[in-house]
Amino acid sequence: MSRDIHLYLSLIPEALIASMLTPEEFGVYYAVGTSKKARGQAIFFEVDPGFRHDYFRIDDGFRRCVPHEDGSPKASIYISVYRVLEHVSLHALGKLYLATSDGRVLGLESSDHVPEPTNGLHLYQEIAPVNPLVVSSLGPKPFYELIVKNPNILIRLPAICFAELRLGELAEDPEHGNVGDLPYSRIEHLRQCLRALATKTVDSKMVNRTEPATFSYRTIKSGIFVGNEMELRFYPCPSPMTLRAEHYRWWRSAWSA
Amino acid sequence: MLGPQIWAAMALFAGFISLGVASWLYRWVRKQDPGSERAQEVASWIRDGARTYLRRLYLALTLMALGMGFIIAMVFAFDIEHLGTGAVRLAPGRGLSMAIAFLAGALCSAVAGYMGMSIAVEANVRSATAAQESLGGAFKVAFYAGSVMGLAMVGLAIIGMSAIYLLTGDPEIILGFSFGASALALLAKAGGGIYTKTADIAADLVGKVEIGIPEDDPRNPAVVADNVGDNVGDVAGMGADVFDSYVASTVAAMLLAASIFASDPAAQVRHVLFPLMLCTLGILASLIGIRFVRVEKGGSPGRALNGGTIITTAIFAVMASALVLLGGYNLGLLWATLAGLVTGVVIGFTSDYYTSARFRPVVETARVSGSGAAINIITGFSYGLVSIVPSIIGIVAATLISFYLTNLSGISGIYGVGISAVGMLSISGMIVSSDAYGPIVDNARGIAEMAGMSQEVIDTTDILDAAGNTAKAITKGFAISAAALTVLALFSAYAEVVGARGIELVISLRDPVVVAGVLLGAVTPPLFSALTMLSVTDNAFEMIEEVRRQFRERPGILAGTEPPDYAACVALASRGALTSLVWPAFLAVALPLLVGFVLGPEALGGFLGGSIFTGVIFALLMSNAGGLWDNAKKYVEGGRFGGPGSDAHKASVVGDTVGDPFKDTAGPSLNTLITVMSLVSSLFAPIIAALHLFR
Repeated sequence: MSRDIHLYLSLIPEALIASMLTPEEFGVYYAVGTSKKARGQAIFFEVDPGFRHDYFRIDDGFRRCVPHEDGSPKASIYISVYRVLEHVSLHALGKLYLATSDGRVLGLESSDHVPEPTNGLHLYQEIAPVNPLVVSSLGPKPFYELIVKNPNILIRLPAICFAELRLGELAEDPEHGNVGDLPYSRIEHLRQCLRALATKTVDSKMVNRTEPATFSYRTIKSGIFVGNEMELRFYPCPSPMTLRAEHYRWWRSAWSA
Repeated sequence: MLGPQIWAAMALFAGFISLGVASWLYRWVRKQDPGSERAQEVASWIRDGARTYLRRLYLALTLMALGMGFIIAMVFAFDIEHLGTGAVRLAPGRGLSMAIAFLAGALCSAVAGYMGMSIAVEANVRSATAAQESLGGAFKVAFYAGSVMGLAMVGLAIIGMSAIYLLTGDPEIILGFSFGASALALLAKAGGGIYTKTADIAADLVGKVEIGIPEDDPRNPAVVADNVGDNVGDVAGMGADVFDSYVASTVAAMLLAASIFASDPAAQVRHVLFPLMLCTLGILASLIGIRFVRVEKGGSPGRALNGGTIITTAIFAVMASALVLLGGYNLGLLWATLAGLVTGVVIGFTSDYYTSARFRPVVETARVSGSGAAINIITGFSYGLVSIVPSIIGIVAATLISFYLTNLSGISGIYGVGISAVGMLSISGMIVSSDAYGPIVDNARGIAEMAGMSQEVIDTTDILDAAGNTAKAITKGFAISAAALTVLALFSAYAEVVGARGIELVISLRDPVVVAGVLLGAVTPPLFSALTMLSVTDNAFEMIEEVRRQFRERPGILAGTEPPDYAACVALASRGALTSLVWPAFLAVALPLLVGFVLGPEALGGFLGGSIFTGVIFALLMSNAGGLWDNAKKYVEGGRFGGPGSDAHKASVVGDTVGDPFKDTAGPSLNTLITVMSLVSSLFAPIIAALHLFR
């Protein structure tokens, strides 16, 4: 049985990959690995296989993406591993997939509407191309605009993918707010950073510059944002109740990690 | 008034009624819907794993029992009254009776455990299936299945004791029955504890920590062994544990009566039979109490279980009062009975305070976990140490109240202490029913998860499981306290048996031989704990490698495209648990004999005293600290102090892993250890009194 070749934009690590696996199969493969490969949480977009850009040798990658000698499908051909996000048109992006470290895969559709910012402070996990943990007084859209579209700031990115994470009571009361079920390390440092936003003349502050791009999915507040100089797209994450009811296996894996 | 033989016959009859109700409940549970094909398949893995372990365990126990039975028959074939006088006389009939009683004790304990296990592995899937309809229905299936264990246990115990008494009229022969039950209990409890924690630790460390798969995930090769372990540790193991305390306390009181009332044969028979009568009433109270345990719509399983215990306690108190008042017994015996009964229930609920997430110790341990595993362990350990105090105060209160009130009423206070232990254990039918409910609903939750049942079913089984954990904590506190009172009574019985051979036992701490005995006794429970816990780490290490190997060599397991080899982990756990039992078993039987035959009866008295003190303290500490760490972790997982994945969670997982062999392997086995050592000493006391090296 012939299989279609899929194109995936992986964010952890940033790479463009051709594969004969469906998104769910690819998520399992990428997260769980094989006997000789590494494994872990995976976040990736399905990319329109018709997408082409001079920066990538996509057709060469597709030609090499053939089944193994035993007939099993080719799991991955890496086409590029450097500055990938900035060269992929957002129009070519399909669903976003979140794979847990034990291989449960959840697909998210993009939404036409970027959520209105809520009151209080915000916490962002940048996923690609760099991955610091950042607190900000800006909502997701102004935060994206600050990083990608503001010509006046020193550190500017051509494209960005980030998740807004929950701050719970800390969003309103960094000093005394209850931590509740927020699993962040060094919570006192996080409180300090949040307090600094109120006392200093900055919009954003890095909490941790060596934070790994992986994070607990249960901390996602509204969803995942991806944007370049042209546009911003939003992939909303369903509520915990919906996830539990409709995607129990994924929910259980994501919520117990 | 009814004659003494009639009372013994009534006890026998009550035992058969209890066994009959257990059999009826067994059939009732089996008639319930076993659920979907997938659920039955998952349940069959657990059932087959449990049977594999039980087959191996009982084969090993049969060989052990036959071997020890032969030794007992040989040793007691000599007329012990005249040992050491140079004129050796043979009494083969007595040796044979003692050996048969020993084998009967082991057999009854094994049958009770087997019945409990058999129905538990049938009830788990039926309870999960019933949870699709209602909480009350699922509760009923699980509780009735637990009652099979509770009622079979007390039924077989009283049948054995009363039948031996009716046939021989000699409480010392029943001591053989008790020793058989205890020897089997020690191996079943320690073996079950090693098995369950081997599987649990391996499943958690590789599955949850290394790979990141959730609890009860069918992709984990150790998940079935983990679920089997719940049954072998908490159904068969705990059942055998309470069975042995139940029989030992009754026998101790009977022996004390035989010795104290030796000058008045009529009073002797009446008081020898009094403990059996209390057991009979306890069975009737449990049978009535079980009928009241139900969960109505919107009701709580925890409240239903606690309500059942309180109702049973009240019914038994009324019945015991009637027995004492109408039967013409001394009123002091009523106070002793009630002191034991109330203390047992209070200590059980005190254990709940130290291990429940509703109270400060667990919450505080969870809170400080954010500072790391070391702080979590120090805090949990400290609360574990504090938790010893109320239980010890309870035991002290029960001992002193029963001793002095019985004494004031004109009967030997020592007999009152023995009756107090019987009073505490008389409602064991109800207590074990609630305890055995726990692993059944724990398994039901696992089956619901593995069989992919709906979220509502999993939520329902979660509610059932939470009540099971509380029942488990209460039973552990109860079992340890009951064992403490039992061994105090056995200790007195030992002194009486030695005294009957003309040696007045003077246990003075100014005597270096006694001090040597005390120190040797004191070191035995820690050594036993170390041996069983090291067995867990050794076996878990092997199983961890096996689980890693399966994940490494067969990536399809994690991808969900091929099933894991559950049987390999089950076989590993079974083999490891049984081979690990050799040294702990040897310690329990050989050490008291060695001390007795070498250093003499006073040193053995000191040995028993030392082992009782450290045994009770270690048992309470380990059981409560382990339960506390477990629930602190669950408290964090419930979304407090950062929830799953937080620093507090990582620290609390370490604490829970440390606590696992504390609470389920070493801690609960210690009460059986001290009971076995006390029984060995009492049984061989006449021979030791006649033949010892040092004095």
